[in-house]
Amino acid sequence: MFMHILKYELKSGLRSKDMLIWLILFPILLGTVFKVGFGSIYEKTEKFNSIPIAVVEESENKAFRQVIENIGSAEQPFITASFTDREKAEKLLDDGEIEGIIFSGEKLRLTVKEKGLRETMLKSFVEQYSVREKIAMDAFETAPEKAQQVIESLTAETVSSCREIPVTQGNPDVYVQYFYNLIAMVAMFGCITGMTITSHRQADLSALGARSCCSPVPKSVSVLASLASSFLLQTVCMIICVTFLAFVLKVDFGDRLWLVYPTAIFGSILGVSFGFFIGSIARVNEKVKTAILMTTTMLLCFFSGLMVGNMKAVVAEKAPWFNNINPVAVISDCFYCLNIYEDYDRYFTKLITMAVTIVIFITLGIISSRRKKYASI
Amino acid sequence: MQVFKAMLRIIRKRLPSAMIYIVVFVVISILVTNASTKDNKFEVTKLDICVFDEDDTPESRALTDFIGKINDIAEIENNRDVIIDSLYYKRVNYALIINKGYAEKLAAGETADLFGSYHLDESYSVVYMGQFLDEYITSVTAYLTMGKPIDEAISCTEETLSQHTDVDMLRVDKGGNSHYSVDFAGYFQYMPYILIAAIFTVICQVLVTMNKKDIRYRTNCSCMDSSKYTFQLIIGSGLFVIAVWFMLVIIGAVLNGEMYMGRAWYAVINSFIFSVVVTAMAVFVSSFEPKENVLNIITQVLSIGMSFLCGIFIPMEVLSDGVLSAARFLPAYWYVRANNMIADITPFSFNEVVQCYLIQLGFAVALILLTLLVRKVKYNSAAISTNVKKAVVSD
Repeated sequence: MFMHILKYELKSGLRSKDMLIWLILFPILLGTVFKVGFGSIYEKTEKFNSIPIAVVEESENKAFRQVIENIGSAEQPFITASFTDREKAEKLLDDGEIEGIIFSGEKLRLTVKEKGLRETMLKSFVEQYSVREKIAMDAFETAPEKAQQVIESLTAETVSSCREIPVTQGNPDVYVQYFYNLIAMVAMFGCITGMTITSHRQADLSALGARSCCSPVPKSVSVLASLASSFLLQTVCMIICVTFLAFVLKVDFGDRLWLVYPTAIFGSILGVSFGFFIGSIARVNEKVKTAILMTTTMLLCFFSGLMVGNMKAVVAEKAPWFNNINPVAVISDCFYCLNIYEDYDRYFTKLITMAVTIVIFITLGIISSRRKKYASI
Repeated sequence: MQVFKAMLRIIRKRLPSAMIYIVVFVVISILVTNASTKDNKFEVTKLDICVFDEDDTPESRALTDFIGKINDIAEIENNRDVIIDSLYYKRVNYALIINKGYAEKLAAGETADLFGSYHLDESYSVVYMGQFLDEYITSVTAYLTMGKPIDEAISCTEETLSQHTDVDMLRVDKGGNSHYSVDFAGYFQYMPYILIAAIFTVICQVLVTMNKKDIRYRTNCSCMDSSKYTFQLIIGSGLFVIAVWFMLVIIGAVLNGEMYMGRAWYAVINSFIFSVVVTAMAVFVSSFEPKENVLNIITQVLSIGMSFLCGIFIPMEVLSDGVLSAARFLPAYWYVRANNMIADITPFSFNEVVQCYLIQLGFAVALILLTLLVRKVKYNSAAISTNVKKAVVSD
């Protein structure tokens, strides 16, 4: 009987084409929007690149010109400077071609347009010049005999005092987390199909429910068969979704892409069970059920950072327990773990959380929908 | 006005599920407004830096204090996972370890391997802090070479490094309008998302009900003109939208702590115009008669997609020019543009704000015309007769 119901549920699932099509189209459309919208933001704003500036020489300052030229010839220069006149420089700055203008003369002056880390770095670069001047002056004042040595040490190439300890091999682009949340959201949208299962089993909500209630098949069998068919259909949607993101949009999921697939599928099973659970316990009509499901999903997505990027970190600070039970956060955390962490500890913890939640949802759903009798509809 | 009345009746019946949507979205918008704070003041960017002092000597503590003067020291647990998370989500920009033996090495004039830093990527903050540390060490060694004792060398270094160069701004910012702060502009910035998401789900569902086969056949065989019918739908939805908009505006005033004044009224007008656009959009989408479940997904695509492309979720200035020029074809772009000008994020110009208003209204008019067209084509007698034939066959 299980196979029989599964077969027909699959058939009817495949025939409600617009739902399936939209579940597949949804990540494709939004994924494309994401990719177009901030595919290159990370490269542009977070990752270090030489800062373009213009130098306007108000009076002869050979030493400074020398410094600029020295920096320009380095392998990965800190700034790339062009020498130009005041008007041109201001136009470049206004157009956003350069980040700042340094006026060199008796004293160095800096003009910028925005406020940000790059501008702060330019400021400290200009200050560095006067700092060295001051140190040299101090040296002449306090210990003239060692002044030469001090100046040599200032200009000498020094070894970096700081050793960097790499923490991950993964993709450090924080904007990728929007894609994680997108997949998690698509997975959670499975809740709508999960909910339809319940209304197809409740005699007061649909004619189909009335028919299936008077059949001799145990509820648990028919429910599990319908759930299985939803899982299968969702699996297809998730495979298409992840494939599209990873291979067409070329989103970098780290080097364990093969594990991203089962995680996404697992997430969609969680989504279906969530819908099934809410659908079984809430004794209201389908519209209110949909409203509850959609809004909860949106709220959970919000707390996981779909709308405001660093929301998850804020939650982690204020109420860390919530990230462990918010299904959307758990799913997107799995992708994050696969990308960033080298070991699997945290990933497995998240997977187990998911598994436990699925079991709880399905069990509670079955318990609350079994032995329901309808004396009159 | 039968159509209008029928519509209000359906809206009243749908109010419970509609309220769920509206309440949740209002909660989201309040949370969003509190979560995002942008400052518009002139100051040096401060990084959040966590320092793990393994040396714990007066010298290393002096360095930590000095870093704390220029930047903000963030206290986080010394646990690899916590550090990675904080670095990834930019709660901390730089994680510095002062290695054991720092003071001894410094006194001996050694400069290599004094520090370690947890390194996630080659970001600007990493380069900046790297330069800062090198500068600090170079300077301390220079003073040591002059023959100063270590504590004096450190204090001289701090004094030297604390010199400030004045930075000129290309354009002097007026500092914003006191009645419309940048923080408060965030509330209005997120409003399009709330308007689209909440209004679409409710209005479209009502309109889809109005389009149900039996109701529609009855309306079609009446003597009512299809454009008249559409207009009544628009007025009916408009009434509901204005109610939602009014509520959001009142909540805004409560959040702001004062009644709207001065420039804030421009923002109120802006949001009103945008809600008109949303109404037109909702009527347009529902004339394609999507199924209810599908409608939810379409709403998500429209609301989230537009929010990302038009600078609602991520600020306009970080979006690339290509995206922005594509976004010009979406009404939300003009809304956000006007909002940014009103908040003085971009230079304010009254004419340009009005221009943004007019363009949004243009979108609304275009959408209404399109809706009339679609409905006319769909419900002309030929199309209806084929539909009826189909319906008869499938029944």
